[in-house]
Amino acid sequence: MDVNEKFSGMKKGLLEFLLLQIIAAEKVYVADILKQLSETEFATQEGTLYPLLSRIRREGLVDYEWKESGAGPPRKYYQLTDKGRDQLRETLKYWDRINGTVKKLGQNNTKPLS
Amino acid sequence: MNKVITINLDGTAYQLEEGGYDLLHTYLETAAARLQNNPDRDEILSDIERAIAEKFRALLGNNKTVVVTKEVTAVISEMGPIEGDPAQASESASAPPGGEERTAAAGGAPRRLYKIHEGAMVSGVCNGIAVYFNIDPTWVRLGFVLLTMLWGAGALAYIVMAIVVPSARSPEEKAAASGSPFTAQEFIRRAKQGYYDATKGFPDAQARREWQRQFKRDMRANAYHWQRHWYGFWAGGAAGHPGAGFTLPFLSLLQGAATILLLCVLISLLSTHTILGLALPPRFPVWAAALMVFFAYGILSAPLKLARRSCYWSFGHPNPAGGIVFLLDALIWIAVTGTLIWLAIHFFPDLREAVHTLPSVAHQAADDIRDWWKSSSR
Repeated sequence: MDVNEKFSGMKKGLLEFLLLQIIAAEKVYVADILKQLSETEFATQEGTLYPLLSRIRREGLVDYEWKESGAGPPRKYYQLTDKGRDQLRETLKYWDRINGTVKKLGQNNTKPLS
Repeated sequence: MNKVITINLDGTAYQLEEGGYDLLHTYLETAAARLQNNPDRDEILSDIERAIAEKFRALLGNNKTVVVTKEVTAVISEMGPIEGDPAQASESASAPPGGEERTAAAGGAPRRLYKIHEGAMVSGVCNGIAVYFNIDPTWVRLGFVLLTMLWGAGALAYIVMAIVVPSARSPEEKAAASGSPFTAQEFIRRAKQGYYDATKGFPDAQARREWQRQFKRDMRANAYHWQRHWYGFWAGGAAGHPGAGFTLPFLSLLQGAATILLLCVLISLLSTHTILGLALPPRFPVWAAALMVFFAYGILSAPLKLARRSCYWSFGHPNPAGGIVFLLDALIWIAVTGTLIWLAIHFFPDLREAVHTLPSVAHQAADDIRDWWKSSSR
């Protein structure tokens, strides 16, 4: 089985985490988010992103405001709320712990991996 | 040469080739269906429309005013399929795939009880309950009718609920009522009737409301016809104009007798724990027997009641005011039953005795029920 396919479920779960990361850095609108993700293995489409954004907004992690764009109608720009910031901090800590665990458990392996 | 359809996305008109329009229409309908249980459905859909509009805008220029089918296909594949919320989907991971959407609704938004007017027969209470429990409204209606036959409790509960339970008006409320097929239907109906299509549909809200009013009028006329047929059927040929006069007192007497029988059985049940000498099965609770007696009475007297009402019906109420008929019926019933009871108490000493001991019997029964409850809950 392809590694990509195998971890698709894990990637889906991580997407929310990454979304918080991206939004934490600067106020963004959906096309920005898609562009940033498109260069990674987390490339995503609008069809996935909108429902996800609306859910984390409902959970109070992000917020949006309408901003005029140069051309065309106004756009929704997303930003992190305090709650979102807290959650991101915690998730980052948790991520570090997991990372540590993965590496530590690997060290007990006497045989090198191929 | 291709036909062009004008659509309205996010407040701006776009011209699409017909094939492209069909594709977009299907895409949006699928999206609406997948987001059926999402509380933010409308917002997500308008986000998606906006995103599509933005992509179309990028395609069009001064000399290009129509989005061709190939471009619509490209835009849709760029958008990607609308996914149900990943987190909600994982909450219901243990559920079978088919049930996923419904469970997602249970996890996402709490269900609430609303009256639902679409397809309602009276005020939508039964409909709302049916949607809440995800069952056929006919069963709920039957349940209410049965309860009404027994003690009139159904009618009372219905009236209270009709007043207390709020109506589902907005799409959000309708979604909250069920996570519901109604909303999907409503959405598809809107889509079909030109929600996305600037050239079709009702010209304005006024026309839509007028259409709804007309629909309700038609439904009411139907219900009235149905009712008349029903009573006509029970009245039968013999109980036509001349016959009804003779049948009615007879029917009233019969029903009065049934009521007295009910009282006798109840008294015997409470005082001797037998049904007129017929012993209950061992350890069979008295209250259950009483319930069954009421139930049997309801079933027995329902046709009598209907037959009597149909007599009033054939009594020269070609266009009867239903309320008066029922009031009259109730009054006559009370009078007949009262007279019969009075006569029975006067002429049958046993019955008089029983009535006199009724308070203490009721006391006893209450104690029995309490004991039974205690012993069974231990």
